Amino acid sequence: MRRFLDRHWYAYAMVLPVVVVIAVLVLYPLAQGIFFTFTNINEGNIANPVLDRAATYTGVGLTNYLNVLSGDPSFGSFWSTLIRTLIWTFGCVLCHYGFGLALAVLLNRQVKGRALYRVLLILPWAVPAFISAFAWKYMFNAQYGIINQFLRALGLPDPIWLGQSDWALVAVVIVNVWLGVPFMMVALLGGLQSIPGDLYEAAEMDGASPWQRFRHVTLPGLRSVSSTVVLLGIIWTFNMFAVIYLITGPNPNTRILVTYAFERFFSGASRDYAVASTYGVLILSVLLVFASVYRRALRKQGEVW
Amino acid sequence: MAEVAYVKASRIFSGNPPVRAVDELSLDVSDGEFLVLVGPSGSGKSTALRMLAGLEDVDEGAIKIGGKDVTNVPPKGRDIAMVFQSYALYPHMTVAENMGFALKLRGVNKAEIKEKVAEAAKMLDLTKYLERKPKALSGGQRQRVAMGRAIVREPSVFLMDEPLSNLDAKLRVETRANIAALQQRLGTTTIYVTHDQVEAMTMGHRVAVLKDGLLQQCDTPRALYDKPANAFVAGFMGSPAMNLKTVPLTSEGAKLDGIVVPLERHAMDTASAEGLNEVTFGIRPESLALVGSQHHGMEMTVELVEELGADALVHGAVRIGASSERFVVRVDGRTPPTLGQTVKVAVRDATEIHLFHPESGFRLTN
Ligand SMILES: Nc1ncnc2c1ncn2[C@@H]1O[C@H](COP(=O)(O)OP(=O)(O)OP(=O)(O)O)[C@@H](O)[C@H]1O
Ligand SMILES: [Mg+2]
Repeated sequence: MRRFLDRHWYAYAMVLPVVVVIAVLVLYPLAQGIFFTFTNINEGNIANPVLDRAATYTGVGLTNYLNVLSGDPSFGSFWSTLIRTLIWTFGCVLCHYGFGLALAVLLNRQVKGRALYRVLLILPWAVPAFISAFAWKYMFNAQYGIINQFLRALGLPDPIWLGQSDWALVAVVIVNVWLGVPFMMVALLGGLQSIPGDLYEAAEMDGASPWQRFRHVTLPGLRSVSSTVVLLGIIWTFNMFAVIYLITGPNPNTRILVTYAFERFFSGASRDYAVASTYGVLILSVLLVFASVYRRALRKQGEVW
Repeated sequence: MAEVAYVKASRIFSGNPPVRAVDELSLDVSDGEFLVLVGPSGSGKSTALRMLAGLEDVDEGAIKIGGKDVTNVPPKGRDIAMVFQSYALYPHMTVAENMGFALKLRGVNKAEIKEKVAEAAKMLDLTKYLERKPKALSGGQRQRVAMGRAIVREPSVFLMDEPLSNLDAKLRVETRANIAALQQRLGTTTIYVTHDQVEAMTMGHRVAVLKDGLLQQCDTPRALYDKPANAFVAGFMGSPAMNLKTVPLTSEGAKLDGIVVPLERHAMDTASAEGLNEVTFGIRPESLALVGSQHHGMEMTVELVEELGADALVHGAVRIGASSERFVVRVDGRTPPTLGQTVKVAVRDATEIHLFHPESGFRLTN
């Protein structure tokens, strides 16, 4: 042990600042959040230096978890919200990936003005999310929005997009897809460009049709990029708070786990920090479980990751 | 199995000016033949091969396989297998899957694929590696998998684009022999591209030499070596290269340093008909010999001796007219001259002299 330290102290000294920073920035808040889930902390009993009031919250054991996991509507109907979150997440990521891949494949060939198309397609990403969210909100306006005007012109039904119905969920999915496709497209384009061209030629010599080349060369060649961006996409979308909140506000039809945690934390009669933290911890656990299952599935396919 | 023909086939890449990468290539390859396309870098060998494969457009002329015009047939319809320089193995498939891929696409049943792959693997000594991915193979093994992928399909033509260039020298020699033997055994028409003239000489039934997209000569290795059609082929085939020097011509023959080398009748006639007073004189290193000082010969100052074991290559300077020219002579390896020594060099046999037109490079000798 001594010899080990003697030899490697320099490496440890170099790593130490990072460890400290991570501990302060990540581990401490995390630990505090987990601690809150076992208390009844809220706006009324937290320490308040302005009012010169000491903290009076007390430990409540697993009560918060039991309340939330019971699916009680007054605690956010956890299970139905979880299902909505999953629909939202997989709906968005599926569309992100599908459209992103299609655009990447289209842009990966020699077309005139390729650079221009690329810039245009990356644009949604460059616009600040709240600006595009407001633009979309306006477009979704039931009466004056361009979308409904268009639908009416075609003689199609024109729903009240952002009202108290599942149309609101459809609307936020559309906006989030629009926002998320550029990232997928850029990442997959990079992946496509790393597939050597002679593999396509070899497949062509082997008698593969364009579709077979896509299936047997392109998709496997994209596998490692895909698995990474899909995982990232799922995590981001699962926790995508901004789009939903900016477009629909606290609408129960678009409520997902994070938006409910936010509602609990910042609004309502008494800001219930304990329940919000409980949601946070549950979100983290869902994602951890998912990521480890995902990783195992990939490993089984022989992907080193 | 099939014969292959290029009929005045050209490939022109657009650009300024346009590049005629392959220029009116006409070449007939008979059934079962092993033809080697050789030439310096950028001479259009790969392009010619890819035109035959269908990976490159044919801008002029036609390509025929088995007597059928396939100029506009996609690769799929040509029944051709190709071995790429990079091998282009599918990285996510095992060796067996790589080799069986074409059959799988064709809808051959699993048992039959397995049998054919096993057979090819045995032939190439790959049986142990069938379940591995290409990443876990050495360069030589990958090369064999690429060969296997071509063999399994039993195509009518094999195309190979510098398949040995990623191997080390020893393995290359070994694989060279294996490929030639395999082709012999399968009897499949094969077109093989290389920039290495040793490969060309040792492997091909016939060798086609390309330069700047133009076919220079196509003949057996022996004929190319003994009767190169022009100065380019003469200089390209053979290692070390032929000594090619422009020398003055007199009525008795070609004038080198101390000697006048008598030339054959036909060459003299052609030269005088053309009104030439200079010719390009070519002589292979082994056609020169060191002679005793009492003999007629060129005086050469030895500048470098390369000992190759069995023999040695002597590089030296010889005066021709006002300038000093470098010659290479192949001598017995046991008694090479020393550096700086002046030796006498003579032509072994006048029939081994090659004469070319000094400008056009065409052969003057018979
Ligand atoms: N896609 C292309 N566009 C324009 N010019 C090209 C293209 N491909 C090849 N060329 C040109 O065509 C000529 C022949 O190229 P090719 O690849 O056939 O040479 P090669 O004989 O195979 O050379 P090497 O031994 O280096 O592989 C070269 O001058 C090259 O620059
Ligand atoms: Mg080439």
